[in-house]
Amino acid sequence: MTGQGGRSDGAADARGPSAEERPGLLVARGLRKSFGALVVLDAVDLEVAAGQTLALLGPSGCGKSTLLRVLAGLEPFDAGTVTMEGRPVNGPSCQRGMVAQAGTLFPWLTVRENVGFGPRELGSGDVERIVGELLEVTGLGDFADALPRQLSGGMRQRASLAQVLANQPPLLLLDEPFGALDAQTRLRMHEWVRGLLTERPTSTILVTHDVDEALLLGDRLGLLSSRPSHVVSERDLPFGGDRGRHTLSEPDFVRLRARVLDEVMAA
Amino acid sequence: MPGSTGRSDAADGSVVTDDAVEPLAVSGVLTKPATARSGRRRQRRLVGLVVPVAVLLSWQLAWDFELKPRSILPSPHQVVTAADAFFFGENTVTLSGIVPFKGAAWLHISASLERCVTTWVLAVIVGLVLGLGLGLSSWVADLLEPFTNALRAVPLFAWLPLAAVQFGIGEPPARILIFIGALWPVVVATTDSVARVPRAHVETARMLGTPRSRLWRRVYFPSALPEILTGLRLSLTLAWTCVIVGELLGVSRGIGAMMIAAREAGATDQIIVGVFLFALIGYTGDRLLRMLARPLVRWSDA
Repeated sequence: MTGQGGRSDGAADARGPSAEERPGLLVARGLRKSFGALVVLDAVDLEVAAGQTLALLGPSGCGKSTLLRVLAGLEPFDAGTVTMEGRPVNGPSCQRGMVAQAGTLFPWLTVRENVGFGPRELGSGDVERIVGELLEVTGLGDFADALPRQLSGGMRQRASLAQVLANQPPLLLLDEPFGALDAQTRLRMHEWVRGLLTERPTSTILVTHDVDEALLLGDRLGLLSSRPSHVVSERDLPFGGDRGRHTLSEPDFVRLRARVLDEVMAA
Repeated sequence: MPGSTGRSDAADGSVVTDDAVEPLAVSGVLTKPATARSGRRRQRRLVGLVVPVAVLLSWQLAWDFELKPRSILPSPHQVVTAADAFFFGENTVTLSGIVPFKGAAWLHISASLERCVTTWVLAVIVGLVLGLGLGLSSWVADLLEPFTNALRAVPLFAWLPLAAVQFGIGEPPARILIFIGALWPVVVATTDSVARVPRAHVETARMLGTPRSRLWRRVYFPSALPEILTGLRLSLTLAWTCVIVGELLGVSRGIGAMMIAAREAGATDQIIVGVFLFALIGYTGDRLLRMLARPLVRWSDA
């Protein structure tokens, strides 16, 4: 509503506000990827706007992780284009921070050293301040000198996020980051990440097979088909910024959840 | 109060509750084992003395009953006396070609230690460089692997005659043998462990801004370090083994040289003193290396 003061061309009306209003931070067009004869991704088109969280939901085995690895620059692809801020993606970069299910921590470094790893590699000044801030945000202050193996699963994932966020990447790629956690811890992490992303807006692409996770964390929801995978539909998620376990029981949420679940099962 | 633990509490206390459960799990790892357990460990360590004491007793009995001629099998007491002379006697030998015994303990021990440690350190440096190269660069591996694998297949002591022919007798062939013996465990451990470093660590480092040229220092080496250190221990043990063989090659200072001279003089008690010294120093060296390495590999303790 107020955001339309920015740039509104005629096309904005046709495709809804959030797609055209802001330029895409990361854009993939006609992406194709195969492993030998197995085509995993075919004609994937997607776009994530600055500050937006795009949740990609798909059946297991549809190539979600492969898609994210391609977007991260960790995996070469066969055809199509991936650009970030207009420049082609052709390798891993500190512009795109990725956290997967297994986390990113180096087991030989303490939590503090892990979080400071990126800033130190980039030669950022004031590593101590960055690390201290992130340890506080992630509630890991008391465990700064612990080794990753001494942490619980939830703490490990929070530390992984802190490690990746330390370089302040414009884009965050999350590959079922909470998949290995128990249900309660996962819900806590959802609330925490939601709060974190509201507090310091970072464009995020989240892939998951968990409908609740997609609906709780996403500003936009994309559905992936089964293999060979592409984005079949996209919609904005209507829930406000303040989401948590209470959202799970709101009628709107329950209705949408049922519909999305049907669509995923059919995909 | 109990009624108010609904939503507001959960909404802002979520991180805290997650942590509140954890310190228990963490303290289990961080604290020292309970005293009951360390008491049992002390007991187990005492059990380890049973066999040595039994061997010592049978040795004494064998001497008492003269199962072997006394010139061939000395008594434990004779060995202790020989050791006493070796350590605390007065060295009266002045000719450099003659291997001294009385009061010459430090002379021989330091010669053997110096030979072993300096050569081992050299082998470790060369082995690390070679191992990292073989493990990280397919180009280096293609170039060198057939050659190194063939060399590695040569039994260690098969180098002995060649070394003697090329370098005569004395210091150089002894050191070459120690070097070859100490080199391969380091090369193999480094190559293998570096090749097994999880790709995810490398990807994370790349993503966090580590340039390719620095990956070996930031990821490969630290990740492989526990296995490399195991290789170093094996390497040190082998180097120490090679010391005595190397000292067969005509050096006049060193525990091995002392034992050879003792054999020629028919002094079995002195030979046994040498055996004990080798055991003692070898064992201490291994323990020392393990102790020094422990803080570096704490993260990988099972």
